[in-house]
Amino acid sequence: MIRFLAISFLSIFTLASCSLKTTEGLRQVHFNKIEVENPYFSNAEIDYVYKAKIEIYKKNFGGILIIKKLGPENHRVVFTTEFGSTLFDFEFEGDTFTKHFITEDLDKKIIVNILKDDFKLLVNESAKVLAVYESKNQRIYKTESDESFNFYFLEDNLEKLEKIVNTSKTKEKVVIDFTSSEENIAEAIVIQHNNIKLKIDLEKFKKE
Amino acid sequence: MRSYFLFLLFIFIGSSIQAQESEMNTSEITSFKEKVIASAKSTKTIKTDFVQFKHLDFLADDVKTSGKMVFKAPNLVKWEYTNPYKYSVIFKEDQLLINDGGTKSKVDIGNSKLFKKLNQLIVNSVKGNMFSDSDFMVSFFKSSKYNKAVFVPKDSKIASYIASFELLFNKDDAQVYEVKMIEPSEDFTRIVFTNRVLNNTINDSIFSN
Repeated sequence: MIRFLAISFLSIFTLASCSLKTTEGLRQVHFNKIEVENPYFSNAEIDYVYKAKIEIYKKNFGGILIIKKLGPENHRVVFTTEFGSTLFDFEFEGDTFTKHFITEDLDKKIIVNILKDDFKLLVNESAKVLAVYESKNQRIYKTESDESFNFYFLEDNLEKLEKIVNTSKTKEKVVIDFTSSEENIAEAIVIQHNNIKLKIDLEKFKKE
Repeated sequence: MRSYFLFLLFIFIGSSIQAQESEMNTSEITSFKEKVIASAKSTKTIKTDFVQFKHLDFLADDVKTSGKMVFKAPNLVKWEYTNPYKYSVIFKEDQLLINDGGTKSKVDIGNSKLFKKLNQLIVNSVKGNMFSDSDFMVSFFKSSKYNKAVFVPKDSKIASYIASFELLFNKDDAQVYEVKMIEPSEDFTRIVFTNRVLNNTINDSIFSN
């Protein structure tokens, strides 16, 4: 009896740990797409400027997020206060990360790593596809990065990127939602963390 | 030959731009300071529009935001951005009252020496009266259009945020019309004031969130 219970619990545990919420109820399909793309920061001609609102453990603060593509696989990401003083200035080039500047208050390993991972995921332009799933009106591309997975949700008709979900083997860690109307311009972006209480809201500066 | 001529022309134009601004001598500094202090003393309230330009070398255009600033002596300041987003900060005693597009918050700056310093800097630069501040090395320049004071922080912590701070003053009324904050990276923020109204009655109630 005890052995039976132990086996049951063990199997429930292993089964549960295998199921990732992200792909629940989705159908895996054959695919011929090698790479999935994020077009929202891919134009080197554009200065991507957003008003940012950050909520961390119920504290709010704001600023301006500036993203610029400098070359192939090369982006600069700068965050300033509303008054213009720089809080951090990062550069991503392929797998190389450069911290040009960060204020002393933010310069803690855990914070830098969160910011680095979030913004790398946000600006990364393409990733190799491992598997493809299908829902009623979306195609979901599974990709791998370091020790985690990223799921790119593309709307069926226009192949518009609507969401990226970063997961471990079992849990969703970060969800990025994109709202776009104009082609390849994300008007609003929400970066939501599930394991820490952190949410970043980005709203694109309106044209004058 | 033609390019040689152009080269000479550039040198000439270049040096004439250089020549437009020169350092003030001791007596000029004294009279300039007196004028600014007198003007700051008679300034009870200021209401002005402003345009802010954040310059980053790698951007095609400066990041431009604009709004209104209200000052009431001795130390109430409200910065209100209205374009392209709504955001306001009220500097009141030891607190910052922030309204970020409807999300209101309060920051206590009482125990942060750096923040207090930055706050004081903002209030004093609006008034223009910050020459007595022993935390900065100040130098003075003049041109036909403006008088300029350049502040370099002595404290290394402040210097890691701000390399220098420049205030441009009108020649006639000794009011600040431009503030430029230069970061150690040489990127800078420039704020230009326009439509300034002095000493109109301003109700205290606008300095609450």
